[in-house]
Amino acid sequence: MTTRHDELIALRLGAAPASPRLRRWLATAAGRRELAAHREALGAVDALWARVPRPIAYGSLATPIGRVLVAAGAAGIVRISFRRSEADFAAELRRRFGAVAVRDPARIAGAVRALRAYFAGERRAFDVPVDLSALTPFQRRVLLATATVPAGQVVSYGEIARRIGQPLGSRAVGQALGHNPIPIVIPCHRVIGGGGRIGGYTGGLDVKRTLLRLEGARVAVG
Amino acid sequence: MRGTAIHIAELVGRHRGEILAYLMRLLGNEHDAQDACQDVFLRAHRAFARLAPGSNARAWLYRIATNCARNTARGRARRSARRADVDLDTLPAHGITSPERRERLRLVARAVRALPTRQRAALLLRRFHGLEYAEIAASLGGNEAAARANVYQAVKKLRVALEGFDA
Repeated sequence: MTTRHDELIALRLGAAPASPRLRRWLATAAGRRELAAHREALGAVDALWARVPRPIAYGSLATPIGRVLVAAGAAGIVRISFRRSEADFAAELRRRFGAVAVRDPARIAGAVRALRAYFAGERRAFDVPVDLSALTPFQRRVLLATATVPAGQVVSYGEIARRIGQPLGSRAVGQALGHNPIPIVIPCHRVIGGGGRIGGYTGGLDVKRTLLRLEGARVAVG
Repeated sequence: MRGTAIHIAELVGRHRGEILAYLMRLLGNEHDAQDACQDVFLRAHRAFARLAPGSNARAWLYRIATNCARNTARGRARRSARRADVDLDTLPAHGITSPERRERLRLVARAVRALPTRQRAALLLRRFHGLEYAEIAASLGGNEAAARANVYQAVKKLRVALEGFDA
C-alpha cells in the first residue's frame, strides 16, 4: 500500500500529527473511507484486547483464626477471606471481578505485613489501601463508616445506620456488613447487636469473638 | 546473589501483571497464558544475572514472554492438528452484552489470530502495552524500522480482514 496508508496508521496509533498532505487526502471521499476502515479495525481489536484486565494478585498468611487469604488489585485490597481453599478463593475472584487471579505474594506483601502485625497485637489500625469500587454506593457508605470504629470499641448496627444518615436502616446495614468483602481490615466484627448482643458474623461467631478479644473490646463476647 | 534475588523479586512483582495480560492477549486463552507466564519468570530467574546493568528490563521481559508464547503456541499446534479456535469462554466475560457482540468478537479474535506472531505481538506492544518502537525492537528482535513495519503490516491486514466490520 502507499505511504499515505502508513501516515494514516501513524496518525491512528498516535505517533504523528497529520501532515497537510494527509489532511487534504482525508478530506476526500477515498481518504474518509480509509480513515473509517482503520478506525473500525483498530476499534475492533481494542474491544478484544481490552477484555483482559490487569490480574488480581492473591496470597495467604497463617493467623490465630487460621489461614487468611488476601487479594489485591492495582488500587488496593479487594477481598479477604478465610476458612476455605485457595482454589475456591481464586475461582471467586474470577467470578466476582471478571479478572484473572494470580498467586503473587510480592504484590500483596504490604497487606500481609499489616495483617501479621495486627494479629501479633503490634498494630491496631490498618493504613493499607482498600478498593471498594466494585460495591454499591450504599455498601461503600456502610463499610467506610464501619472503618472509623477504632479497635477496642464496638458499635451497634443501629449506630452505623445513624452515622450514614439512615437511622431506620439497621437491617440493611446488617446485610451490607454480612457481605463485607474485606473483613478484619474493614472491622465489621466491631459492629454488634442491640443490647450488647454479639450479633452475627459471616466468618463464624467464634472468629468474631477471637478478634474482639484480641482487640481488648469490653463486650460480653463469651 | 542475595541482591540478585531481591531485584528479580521486585521485577516479578512490578511486571507480572502486565506480562500475564500480554500473554493472554497474545495466546487468546488464560490456561496457556498462565503456563507461559510461569515459564517466563523461571527463565528470567535463570538469565537475570546475564542482564546487562542499565538495560531495559521491561523490554527484556517482553522478549522472554514473546519467546515463551511462541513455544506454547507451537506446542499447542503439535498437540492438535485442528487449529484450536479462539476460546472466548476462557477470557473474562465482562462487557459482553449479546450473542451478536460475542460472535463479532470471535471474528475479530480469528483475524488477530491469523496474523503472524511477530506482527500480532508488535501491534499489541504498541497499542496496549505502550512500548516505543525501539523497545518493541528490543522485545522482538530486529531494528526499529522492522518493528514499525510489523505494526503497520498488522494494521493493514486487520483493516482488510475486518472491512465492513461494525465495531
